[in-house]
Formats: sequence, structure tokens, C-alpha cells
Amino acid sequence: MARLVRSQVEMEGRYEERWTLVEDDTTPEYGDDDELAVVGGPHPRISAAARVSGSARFISDIAPQGVTHAAVLRSPHANARVTSLDLAAAAALPGVRAVIGPGDLPDQGGRPVLTDVPAYAGAAVAAVAADTEEAAERALAALAPAWEPLGFVVDLDEGLARQDFISDPAETERGDVDAALAGAAAVVEAEYRTGAQVQNPLETHCAVAMWEAGTLTLWSSTQGIFAARDELASAYDLEPDDVRVLCEYMGGGFGGKQGAGPEGFMAAELARRSGRPVRLVYSRAEENITAGHRAPTVQTYRIGADADGLLAGIESSAVIGVGVHGWVFPVLNPAETLYACENVRSMVLPVKLNLGFSNAFRAPGVMEGTFGFEQVIDELALELGIDPLEIRLRNAATVEQASGNPYTSKHLEACQRRAAELAGWTERDALRSDGRVRRGMGLASQIWWGGGGPPAHAAVRLGKTARPTLVCGFQDIGTGTMTACAVIVAEALGVEVGAVRVQAGDTARSGYGPTSGGSMTLASVAPAVRSAAHDVRTQLLELASDMYEIAASDLVLSGGAISSRDGTLRHEITEITSLLGNSSLVGHGSRGPNPDGMRIHTFGCQVAQVAVDTRTGAVTVERICAVHDVGRIINSMGAMSQVTGGVLQGVGFALTEERVVDPTTGTVVNAGLEDYKVPTMADTPEIVCEFIDSPDPHLGLGIKGLGEPPIIPTAAAIGNAIAHATGVRMRQAPYTPRRVLEALA
Amino acid sequence: MTHPFTYARPVSIAEASERLGAPGARAMGGGTDLLSQLQRGIRPADEVVDVRSAVPAGILAAGPGIRIGAATRIADVARDPDVIARFGALAQASAAVASPQLREMGTVAGNLCQAVRCWYFRHPDLTCWLRGGETCYAQIGDHRKHGLEPGDCISVAPSDLAAALLALDAVVTTDRRDGFPLADLYRKASAENRSTLALEQGELIVAVTVPVAPEASAYARAGERAAWSFALCGVAAARFAGGTRLAAIGVSNLPRLLDPADPLAGLPGLEMTGWKRGMLQALAEDALAAVA
Repeated sequence: MARLVRSQVEMEGRYEERWTLVEDDTTPEYGDDDELAVVGGPHPRISAAARVSGSARFISDIAPQGVTHAAVLRSPHANARVTSLDLAAAAALPGVRAVIGPGDLPDQGGRPVLTDVPAYAGAAVAAVAADTEEAAERALAALAPAWEPLGFVVDLDEGLARQDFISDPAETERGDVDAALAGAAAVVEAEYRTGAQVQNPLETHCAVAMWEAGTLTLWSSTQGIFAARDELASAYDLEPDDVRVLCEYMGGGFGGKQGAGPEGFMAAELARRSGRPVRLVYSRAEENITAGHRAPTVQTYRIGADADGLLAGIESSAVIGVGVHGWVFPVLNPAETLYACENVRSMVLPVKLNLGFSNAFRAPGVMEGTFGFEQVIDELALELGIDPLEIRLRNAATVEQASGNPYTSKHLEACQRRAAELAGWTERDALRSDGRVRRGMGLASQIWWGGGGPPAHAAVRLGKTARPTLVCGFQDIGTGTMTACAVIVAEALGVEVGAVRVQAGDTARSGYGPTSGGSMTLASVAPAVRSAAHDVRTQLLELASDMYEIAASDLVLSGGAISSRDGTLRHEITEITSLLGNSSLVGHGSRGPNPDGMRIHTFGCQVAQVAVDTRTGAVTVERICAVHDVGRIINSMGAMSQVTGGVLQGVGFALTEERVVDPTTGTVVNAGLEDYKVPTMADTPEIVCEFIDSPDPHLGLGIKGLGEPPIIPTAAAIGNAIAHATGVRMRQAPYTPRRVLEALA
Repeated sequence: MTHPFTYARPVSIAEASERLGAPGARAMGGGTDLLSQLQRGIRPADEVVDVRSAVPAGILAAGPGIRIGAATRIADVARDPDVIARFGALAQASAAVASPQLREMGTVAGNLCQAVRCWYFRHPDLTCWLRGGETCYAQIGDHRKHGLEPGDCISVAPSDLAAALLALDAVVTTDRRDGFPLADLYRKASAENRSTLALEQGELIVAVTVPVAPEASAYARAGERAAWSFALCGVAAARFAGGTRLAAIGVSNLPRLLDPADPLAGLPGLEMTGWKRGMLQALAEDALAAVA
């Protein structure tokens, strides 16, 4: 039965109370003794053939008849005022269909999308739509903007000195940190710095907009089709269902594609004014300067412990270079919650800079915070002469540290022990040498959220061919959600995974599904999917019961057949479904509430083995052993793929990826894939991946999210391994040859 | 906005040379550098002259040496058995270029003539000194990856092949000059002429020849990642009967011949590039050790 409840909703660590429509999910959980046919096994993506054959249509492939091409005028100055702009000249050019400038668009999130006071190099000032990309380029030139350059600040230390904050610095404290540190047997202090990391998905931000009879269709490379729908409906004062947002295939987001985005707003308005479909695809340079990034930080820590290594107090601060605007992510959450400590104080200082906005990038805040905090823990262990693994085990938290609430489940210590075992941790000192190439091993741990929650809805149809169709309101941002959901449907209905058709990524076709963020997509929708499939299963078995005159409870579904438990009866499912004619069995499911008074977290540990060439400064990550605790695994192949991707982006953060800003002009000088270096296949270490695979007893299906956890500990583990290898603690990411050689000099 | 240009693919050296003689004409091999320059408005072209059907491609034994056609693809050099057997530095340098896709497109002459990778030279909104402007933004800005040699421009020579061929004492043949030393293909940019190539307008590289195979040769380089990275430093060594030649890229404007006894001579380093001296010393030792 549906009811409205006040429920705590979590997104990337921010909790809020909200009215939520929930239905109690009465679908029985998989029993301990159930032999699961497909859940937990390795399954290739159901879209694999479409992807490799090129038939999968990504957003940048969408081109409705009569489509026009949009381009955006962006400020080349780090801070400026537009003193003249000739919109009419651009509009008068042949082939130009619409031109918009400052003030012509609805605000987005309270901010103008186009501005005449662009406060960073790359800020959008005007946009055009034309019949060809070349005509759009000519229109941009015809705008003939004149700029009055203004003073700017792009350096984080300078920004801090000017005390120009995005929001007030915020301090939180529990216990008595000063007293605890005064009485500690050992105290270490250190400053860590991290660079700006750009998501750089293969598919840049893009949208295609089309108006028909007062309704808007937007194909958007977005992580939130429903968020995009609601933003645009609100901006144009439309009913939500008068806006249809589609995203069947997208080439990655990694946090940076929330809602409609500026590209969606610009495309929608240009399409409205021109009366033609409009396609707006960011260039790689635009992707690098104006589509978001992980904000750079300066983190300082002062942490103390008693002689046994038990944490006495943790004081930390984080200066975050947010940019011109952006969310303030929980950089100090690892310091506050990863290990048991009663005395904790933290201070966050979000600094405003004349640089593009920052936004979510896979484990925003927590990943860069873990880079600092998990290395300080190693520094403390070294100071006390305690093994880094041992000091972590001694400080294991048994309740969630910020709230004091119990965890729904926690297997961090099992992850730490198993990762260490896989890596050969006890023999790690044998790796070390005094030679030119030094090897070492380091570990780091991870805490994240990822419980998901309501609302999420799903429907499953089963017709005459016995090939079920799932309709669900999520978008698969490349993580394999479609395949995981197909596995769940296949399990319930006893059919092949490949027989399940999944319809997702279309607001007009399904009920609500959540934004893909915070590692919550599968944990939110999978229970609803299972519930819907179970509904169909129940109906199918009732029909079979009636037809074969046997109790439904004596029937099982597997291998495409309905059988009796004693094995005397076996019929293909199609024997029944073929009688359905044009009717279908339809099942509905909905995500139930999360347990009250408990905290849902994911955990993991990674051990890195590195080789450092002390003469060239080259760091090679040879091996990562990753063990994560994310509840039940639905598709082991998909889960390992998530870990591989997370580790690789962590390697990039640790070794090569860093936005570089010119101090003289305030512009980004490496806004492209040549100079902004993401790891290549040749940089990929051997990755050994295991999961605890223990269902969370308090959550539907026992599953938690996995998108973010695997990126979190990689860079910190690499930093600890470099320190183990060289005996030198380097406190700034990325570890480029230059930084390594300067540190070793 | 990309300046509009026409495309020509002449089938003879004479026609290519004539087309390239026109102001605003630029030669193209694989196009992997030229097209990205044009997109950024660097030295805009009125006509792009694709020379691949005009100049020879392929590798021929030439007495004790080897002759490589200007349009030979870098990948073909890297996998040539004779190059691998007798000109190790060149094989290794070719295999280290960029990525497999770029090596399949890029040509030997194009690689030698590519422009510097300085992120100010390539900046879409700046006109640096080397592009004809007033300011070397790198010197007052972020030059962490730049050269070790002070000057009007502190960008570095990017061509792996140039380091190997300079150590191998290669000579260049153009449509109008026969067999001049590779070092003479390059010149320091000056206030009057900002080009780092010493070719006349319309002059076209036809082939590169290594007259005599060395007794041993090797290439050592350090990039920023394991593939698709220009060299931070690259050093080639070639041992001949008369002595060992050592050449480097990534350290100064032009491919540079180094003194094997003192590779750092004349390369003091700049404010942000001192770290490269240690890297250069190490790679020079590696390359020399490999041919010892």
C-alpha cells in the first residue's frame, strides 16, 4: 500500500528530510538456500553488440530532419564586461536561424546561462543556431564582441588570502580536540594538495532540442532525465509531461552531467526561437573549461594517537578552489568518519575563483579527501612504528562516527585483510631496494554512501513470446544498469538474460527514476525492478497452477520452463504465454523505504604496488588489489568493470591528470586530451578485484552502489606506496616526473 | 573560426613545389599536426597541399646506409626489419611516437617538420612570440615542461625522429638541395622570421638518408604516460667508428647535439625546469650505456 512518509533522503552525504511516496515492498528476499540462476554471475552488457557494431545511437548521433547546429560565444578573458555585442549582425547572416544573448534565457539554478559579465575564461555570452556548423562559426565571428577586461584571481592561495568565499567557512567539532591532541603520544601535521581533475567523458556535453505543438523533446547526454525534464518544465512553465527527455546511450558522465545543463537550456531556447531542431555538442576544449571538474584543494591535518595507535584527535581543514560557483563537497568526510575517533574538528573554506564551475566528479570531495587523510594515517603509523594495516584495524569504527547510528552492514576490516592478503602485504618490505628503480606497496581504505532510496518505480510486461520487457525510469550512464536490471528480471522469470528487453532513459515511457549520482541508481531501482518482475512471476504461476492443476507454490520457473518441484511436470513458459494473444501480464514494483535510525555505507580497501624510477621520476603502478564491500553483487562482470574504471581514473588523478591555469592570463592552457593526460591502456596496472558479496540484511536485494567507491582509495594507496618505495613522503597530486624528481632532489 | 582553405593532392614533385610556392600554401603529410594547427588558427592556410602522392614513400637500402622516402609512414619505419636490425635508435624513436593510430597516419617528413607543442603556442586565444606576437607567455607563465635553454622562445623540439636521425648523422634531400645535414633543416626563430624550419618557400623534403649504419644506436625517452605523450626528454646515441654522437629533443628549441662527456653543457635550466637536467643526464647515460 502506498503512503506518504517523512523520510531521510541522502545524496553524496547530504541528508535531508523529505515527504516521499513509498510502497512497502513485500517481495520476499532471495533466501539463503535459493540457488540463484543468474544473479551474481558474469554477464556481458546486453547492449554490447549494439555498442561494438556502432548501431547504438548516442546523443551526439541524434540528428532529426532539419536539425540546425549551435555554437556558443565564450569569453576569452578570466574576468570581463561585455561592452558591445552585435546580435543583429549575426542574425542577418545567411543560414543563421536564431541568436540569443545575455538575458534571453530563463535562469538556471538561479544563475544566468548567458552573461554580459563573464567571470571566467570560457563563460558563455551568446549562442547561435545555423544550418551548418560553418555558418554557426561565421555567426559567432559576426557578433564582434568587445570586452573590458577586469582583475581576476585564479590562484587558490591568493583566493584564500582575499577571503572571497562561495559560502561561509564552516566548522564542525565533536569532543575536545585540543585536549586530546595535547595528551597524545604522537602527533603528525601535514599539508596535502590536490589538483583540478576534469571528467573528460568520451562524449562531451551535448543536447538536441525540438519543439512540436508547444511541447519540448530533449535528447540529452545527462545523468538525470527527470531532473532535466523538471528544470525545463519549470523554466518554460510547462506541465512536466509536456517535456520529454531521452537518454538511451551516453558516452559517460562521471558526475559532470546533472540535469539539463547549460547546453540543454541553450539548445531548447534556440530551438524555440528558430522553430527547428537544434543540436549543441561541446568541443573538447569547452568540455575542459566550462563543463565542470573536481575542485583543487589544500588540506591540512593534525592528528594524534596514543602509543598503541588509537586515534585521540583529528583536526583538519580544507581550502577548496570551487571556481566561479559550485557545490561544496565533503572533502573532510574521510577524516570525520573513516575511523573511530571521539575528538574531531574540521573546517571547510570554499574559495571563489575566476575559473569554470566545479561539480561532481566520481566521489566528489571524498576521493581527494581520502588522498590526504589516508596518507596522514600512514605518516602516523610510521611515527609510531605500527604497521599501516594494523593501525587501521585497531581504529575500526563500529558505529557511524558523525551520527552515532549503527551501520546497516560494514565489512571494511574484511576488505582490508583480504586486499592485504591478495597483495602479499606481509612481504612488502622485500620489494624495497636501494637501486635506481624502487618498489613499494601502500594501502588505503574507502568509505562512501550508496544506499539509494525511494522513489523509484518499474514495470515488467510479459507477452506471448515470453520475452519480458522492463520499463524503468533510470538512464544507464555507461555503468551497466540496464544489464543488471535484466539479470534481476531474468532471475525472477526463469529466462535468459539476453531475452529481457530494457526500456529506460525516456521520461515519457516510464515512471520516475532517480538521477544517477551518489552511487545510488541500482540500489534505488533494482528492488523496484525485482518487485515488478516478481509480480509477473506470481501471475504467471497462477495461470500455470490453474492450467496444470497444481498448487502455484509447487511450481518453479527456470530455463524458460515451468516445472514442478518434484520434477514430474515441465512445460515451456511459451505454452502459457502463447495463449495470451494480444494481452500481456503486467507487473509493477516500487522501491521501499530505507531503515530508520541506521546509516548505509559502502567500504573497501585497495593495495597499490608501484615502481619509481628515481632518475627519470617515472612512477609505474604495477598492481592494484581492490576489495570492496557493496552488499550483494548482481553482475560480477559489470561490477569488475566499475572497479577497473574507478581504479584507472584514480591512477590518472595520482599520476597525470591536472588542469593547468596560466597565472598571467587566467586561462586554462591544457584544455584538450593532448595536454590534459588521462591514462591510456598502456598505463593500466594489473587489477585484482574481489568483492565481499555479502547481502546487506537491511536493504532490498541486499545491494548497495558501486559507481564511486572504487575511485576513492586508489590515489592515496599509490601515494603511500611511493613513500614506502622511496622513503620520501610526497604530498601533492599528481605525481608527475617533475614533482617526483624535485622531491627526490 | 577556421580560415577556409582549398585542398590539393599533386602527383609530382614539380607540381607540389609549384603549389607550395604560393603564399598561404602549407604542406601536409598525415595531417595529424597540420589540421589541429589550422583548427586553432595557427598559421592559417589558403591551400593545404597534400604531398603524399608527390614524394616517395618507402625504405631502401642505400649502400652501407638507408634512404627513407619523405612520405613513409612512421609505423612503417618502426616495423621495418632493416631499420630494427641496423638503426635501432630510429626504430625505437619511431615506435615511441604518439599512438598506433597517429603512427599509421604520420609521415617521416611531417614528423620532422611538426611545430612545437608549447601550450601557449597552441592556445586558441593567444598569439605568442613564436606565432608572431610580442610575448613569450611561457617565460612569464607556466613553463614546467619547457626547455633548459634561455631565449626568445623556450618551447622545445618535439620530434622523436629528429633526435634519432641527428644522432645517426642523417642528411636531408629536398626538391632543390641534395644531402645536407639534418641539423641544417632547423634554424632558431628570429624577430624577423619566426619559423624554426630552414626551408625556402615551396621547398619540399623528398627523402632522408642515413649514409652509414652505426655500430650501435639506441633511443631513451621519458614521457608523461606510457603512450600518446610527447617526450619530456628524448636522447639518441649512435656509436660510429669515429666516435659516438648524442642528440636530444625536449630540452631546447631545436634538436640538439650533445657532448657525450658533458650532455648538460649550455643547458642551465629555467625557473620551473631545473628538474629536467637530472632527467636529461639520466637518459643520456642510458642511451650511451646502450651503445657502449
